[in-house]
Amino acid sequence: MNKSWIYVILTCLFELIWVFGFNTAETWWQWGLVIVFILFDFYTLPKACDTIPTGTVYAIFAGVGTIGTALMDVFLFDGNFSVEKVLFMTLLIAGIIGLKLADNKVIDKNMEGTF
Amino acid sequence: MGWLFVCLAAVSEMVGVIGLKLYSQNKTVRNGAIYIGGLGAAFACLYASFNYLQVSVAYSVWIGMGTAGAVLVNMIFFGESKNIARIVSLVAIIIGVTGLKSLS
Repeated sequence: MNKSWIYVILTCLFELIWVFGFNTAETWWQWGLVIVFILFDFYTLPKACDTIPTGTVYAIFAGVGTIGTALMDVFLFDGNFSVEKVLFMTLLIAGIIGLKLADNKVIDKNMEGTF
Repeated sequence: MGWLFVCLAAVSEMVGVIGLKLYSQNKTVRNGAIYIGGLGAAFACLYASFNYLQVSVAYSVWIGMGTAGAVLVNMIFFGESKNIARIVSLVAIIIGVTGLKSLS
């Protein structure tokens, strides 16, 4: 796997941690941790853009953040699940997978040109 | 007034994403400031819009406009791939994000 994809995963993971912290932090050290994770997040986001198109990285970043907060809402904060929510989540996940496959194709094509 | 803040937030987000692109190519203080400043301003404007609009409505419109704008800016100004599979996937993500946010 391309090393930048590891940064995409990390940046999404940090995003979910700080969003969770944002909803639950109460004491000063908890808010401190939220800030630390935001800093990690802003550090890994440009790293992910090194070899993956920025538009792709950003759309995935927004998509994973949205799915994550929706799931947190349902499982941790007693939100309700609905057919529409599942439908939009499925569409989102299909889009993220499609984007990964589409960009792989472009990279393969570029590689062909170099040989 | 609320919609003005939402629009400002979406524009700031695009500025932030341009900064993200520039900063990932060339790690200068100026590019870092555009990146962090743009995204920071986006959150501040979005937060301000919550005073006038319902959170889920403001959030879903902002994230839809911002994500679509971020992708378009990169396609138009930074020559990112415009192949059909990529565009279809991005549209799916934007609809999914906007729809999901409007429900929560």
